Amino acid sequence: MADAEYVIEMLNITKEFPGIKANDNVTLQLKKGEIHALLGENGAGKSTLMSVLFGLYQAEEGVIKKNGEPVRILNPNDANALSIGMVHQHFKLVECFSVLDNIILGAEPARLGVIQRHEAREKVLQLSKKYALRVEPDALIEDISVGMQQRVEILKMLYRDNEILIFDEPTAVLTPQEIKELMEIMRGFTREGKSILFITHKLQEIMDVSDRVTVLRRGKCVGTVNTSETTVEALSAMMVGRPVNLKVEKADTKPGGVVLGVANLTVPSRLHKNNAVKNISFNVRAGEIVCLAGIEGNGQNELIYALSGLEKQSAGTITLCGRDISTASIRERSRCGMSHIPADRHKYGLVLDYTLEQNMVLQRYREPEFQKNGFIQFDTVRKYSDRLIAQYDVRSGQGSSTVVRAMSGGNQQKAIVAREIDKNPELLVAVQPTRGLDVGAIEYIHRQLVAQRDAGKAILLVSLELDEVMNVSDRILVMYEGELVGEFDPRTTTTDELGLYMAGAKRRALEEKGDAT
Amino acid sequence: MKKTKSPRLGGGNGLLTIGASFVCILIGLAFGFLFLMALSWINNPGSSFGFIVSRAWRYGFKPIIMGGFYLPPISIGQEIAAAAPLIMTGLSVGFAFKTGLFNIGAAGQYTLGAFGALYCAIILGLPWWACLIGASLFGAAWGAIPGIFKAYLNIHEVISSIMFNWIGLYAVNTIMYGGGTGPMYDASKTKTWNLRSLYPDSVIPDLGLGVFFKNRSTTIAIFLAIAVALVIAVVISRTTFGYELRACGYNRSAAKYAGISEKKSIILSMLISGALAGFGAGLYYLSAVAEWRPMESTALPAVGFNGIAVALLASSNPIGIIFSALFISHITIGGSLMNSQYFPPEIADIISGIIIYLCAFALLFQTMLSGRGRKKNAPPESPPASEPPAEDGEVPGKEANE
Amino acid sequence: MLLIKYTLLYAMVLMLVALGGCFSEHSGIINIALEGIMTIGGLVGIAMLVVMPAGTSNSVILLVSIGAAGLSGILYSALLAFASINLKADQTIGGTALNLLATALAVVIARRFNTGTQAAKLSYSNAPFIYNIGGLTVNIFLFIGIALLLLSIFIMYRTRFGLRLRACGEHPQAADSVGINVYHMRWWGVLISGFLGGIGGFAYIVPAVQTWNFEVGVAGMGFLALAVMIFGQWKPGRIFFAAMFFAVFKALANIADSTFLAALGWPKEIYNMMPFIASMIILAFTSKKSRAPKAEGIPYDKGSR
Repeated sequence: MADAEYVIEMLNITKEFPGIKANDNVTLQLKKGEIHALLGENGAGKSTLMSVLFGLYQAEEGVIKKNGEPVRILNPNDANALSIGMVHQHFKLVECFSVLDNIILGAEPARLGVIQRHEAREKVLQLSKKYALRVEPDALIEDISVGMQQRVEILKMLYRDNEILIFDEPTAVLTPQEIKELMEIMRGFTREGKSILFITHKLQEIMDVSDRVTVLRRGKCVGTVNTSETTVEALSAMMVGRPVNLKVEKADTKPGGVVLGVANLTVPSRLHKNNAVKNISFNVRAGEIVCLAGIEGNGQNELIYALSGLEKQSAGTITLCGRDISTASIRERSRCGMSHIPADRHKYGLVLDYTLEQNMVLQRYREPEFQKNGFIQFDTVRKYSDRLIAQYDVRSGQGSSTVVRAMSGGNQQKAIVAREIDKNPELLVAVQPTRGLDVGAIEYIHRQLVAQRDAGKAILLVSLELDEVMNVSDRILVMYEGELVGEFDPRTTTTDELGLYMAGAKRRALEEKGDAT
Repeated sequence: MKKTKSPRLGGGNGLLTIGASFVCILIGLAFGFLFLMALSWINNPGSSFGFIVSRAWRYGFKPIIMGGFYLPPISIGQEIAAAAPLIMTGLSVGFAFKTGLFNIGAAGQYTLGAFGALYCAIILGLPWWACLIGASLFGAAWGAIPGIFKAYLNIHEVISSIMFNWIGLYAVNTIMYGGGTGPMYDASKTKTWNLRSLYPDSVIPDLGLGVFFKNRSTTIAIFLAIAVALVIAVVISRTTFGYELRACGYNRSAAKYAGISEKKSIILSMLISGALAGFGAGLYYLSAVAEWRPMESTALPAVGFNGIAVALLASSNPIGIIFSALFISHITIGGSLMNSQYFPPEIADIISGIIIYLCAFALLFQTMLSGRGRKKNAPPESPPASEPPAEDGEVPGKEANE
Repeated sequence: MLLIKYTLLYAMVLMLVALGGCFSEHSGIINIALEGIMTIGGLVGIAMLVVMPAGTSNSVILLVSIGAAGLSGILYSALLAFASINLKADQTIGGTALNLLATALAVVIARRFNTGTQAAKLSYSNAPFIYNIGGLTVNIFLFIGIALLLLSIFIMYRTRFGLRLRACGEHPQAADSVGINVYHMRWWGVLISGFLGGIGGFAYIVPAVQTWNFEVGVAGMGFLALAVMIFGQWKPGRIFFAAMFFAVFKALANIADSTFLAALGWPKEIYNMMPFIASMIILAFTSKKSRAPKAEGIPYDKGSR
């Protein structure tokens, strides 16, 4: 009798991309009716493994079995036929289509090729009611909230009667409360007999909702454990391979004078008619790390763009070291002492097709030491770049002449950090500086930030990871829908409290932070 | 952002790029030969294979391959004279490519440049070097217009350039014709006045080359073109200006972050491209190679579009453009020397077109030449969450819209 | 009167070709080669007219020539599809190459028909295409055009095919993840644009005149059609109105000599310029809110397949 204990088995899966083994002999077994977490750092191979299961990629080696029988999954249609569905990390929704069209895309009810939308609508409304997933069928994706978009993705799976549901990092865009709701929904699914695979790098969520955990590290499977028999620390050690110091070493300092002053700043939004940033005022002083916390999409990006000069504000003033830079160009702000580590290192931070040294002088190439009469002084540029590489441990194939595209993400980020810190700015603006990096690089960048703060610089940090926010910052400002809704000291607050403010459930006035007396 | 490099921006391993270009040329010529054979067969149905091949070879392919050397020295002179403006239009398109823009308007800028040159020569009676400047200015203005449309209104430069190509052509023809009595127009010959006989000061000197090649249109234009190519090469790779333009071409957002004004860069780049094309027209018409026929010029000057082939073949490298321009003018002259009773000269245009088509995916040849699909890009550090690895530039975890 | 005749004629041409561009771009492929496809379609269709023996019935003439025009458009556009989709080439460069190639090819082939002279002109009779309805001269493409317009609207918005096609141009990864073959769909998009473009080219030349010099290709109509498509914001209904609007300008050039405009004494070239100038003005005003299919122009790479 075939052993049907496992509804899905992925045995000895190996998946390679040019130059890297994303999955190396990985085995994962999913029991029917369980919530099984797949844990690993960025780059560990979790998403690749699930993409193999969903038919987006094919493994070079290994076998997939359903209910004990080997199966071949060559494309998402095959996966769907096997009742496997996936909610992706980056939603795969067509923005200008309606909710209904997105749900039925690829599985449209049709007669002679003509879509029968009324049939589809009925079924969707039924499902929506049954699972309490509230959606508006005729709304366009570009007009609805992120929470509803995720519900649309889930309905896509339910519409196709999927029994095996894969969730890829579903909580990145949710508030702590919405995360709890999602977990309730997942438990509801398992009570019905559906099985869930849940990819994440967040340890607490795993402890809260999963039955078992499989840990991946650098493409290899480290092991599978029962959640009830493990701890956050143990999982973390499995994930990283060594005991991890989850706290950042930080001495207490006394902040100095105001370096960055923001008063009544209002920034319009490109995506909708309301303002993205509404009448915000705050200060950052020398020798302190101020962190802007909040769920993605609440105006943090627009605020930073306005500060750096990439976008124009519609009202308000920005002062840097006493100078009004509200209308200054990007170049001038840089010269006045602002450095900016951008959120999107590929879009703003680097010219990928330039070499490392060309990127190192990205903002400074006009300075007299790097050019004479318009001609680039290649020697000086090379020396400068070499120094930064050595000082900040930026690793690359051919040193200064490496084309940046060929470098790893961590080293690309280190190069940007090196460049921005070496400018010796009075204000360092760092947006998501550790996103997508491995633990080693994260530790390194945190150390650099603290070092700058100890040297008396002002640092404005924007982060979506509450752990980072709590560990690194001296002061936390929570942003919600374009406004500052609370100010906190990380020593006296909790992630739950922050979560309430981030979701807009509470708010309180900010204290006045003037110059130190 | 695309993951692999665009064929327009060039760069990458120099040898591989040259190799890929050679492959394009070889395949283009091969197709040309097949075409000639096909024509030969259609014209002489029923003849033996050998006859078809030899006819195609002797009267068709041989002239093309030999190009200017087919009827030396006059044809060599013609080839050189034709190469000069082609180098310029190649530089025009190539320079724009470097900045990330596709200047398909080179033909229109060339037309305006021709107008400028002839106007300065015939109406203003200026010496040749001043006429060249005039030609460049007209070309620059015509190039700047699509640049402005793109910078301020975000209209794609291909569409606006094409529109202005036609607007320019019609405008220039109208003005030159002047209702049959325009001051620039010689109604008896239905073309503009002959410069050499009437305005000799406006003709570019030939310093003896004319006698050497038995063709007075072979002037120092070619040397001027080469000089400009060298200047452009230096500007692109060694100046801060070139650094800024290339940064804009590779990544507009990062350029903005670096403090570079995108609008300024786009407009300047198109302006310079236009000037280069206009200068090319000046070189051609001020060498008195030919006159302008307003009533018969119903199509845009081919040299403007051949410039695209030239730029692509050379991967937008200014020095390479010198050589690829010589090659294209080589086969074009060769085409005109074919026995036109059997084969139409447009065969050279067909070969040119095929080469451009091949260049569109020249990168494929590069990767094939460098050995089995070893892509030069980094392994994705986080093999794309749910995205195929092609979407480089996506930081894992970031939102899809920007 | 004449203005209406020419306006309708050009409107149908612009509309057909713009619809073609629409199908292609909705699937994600920018099709700059429409100019060349029109030229080829016109050439092949006319070639059929020239070689068909005298005395063939009108319906056969119509069927064969229009069919040939469409078919040749499909075959020629396959070159663009192959380069852009399978080889992931730069679509603008590929399209430009095909335009240049088309004009050269057309000249060569046209010359072949005129073995005596060197001209690239072809002459034919366009009688089978013209009808007289109550004093107004229309051509068959008016009916064909409207029929294809309605068919296009239906296919695009009410069928499975249309929904999937549009998904490929907006978010190919989403389409891929629900099992749609993006490459497949894009091929369809380009081939359909080839069909419509080929017919459009034929419709441009034949009803208006009885002889055509292929050295000029189609004199920029293919690009005007792209402007129509952008102005129509990639929606067939709006494209119809945009086409009518632009067609008026184009028609003015034809009647400049014979009507009241002659009194103005402007040279003919001014009228030739007008459609292009009008395009630029319209584009200038509408570009801010222009919303092209999101993923167009970006070659789709499935990754490891």
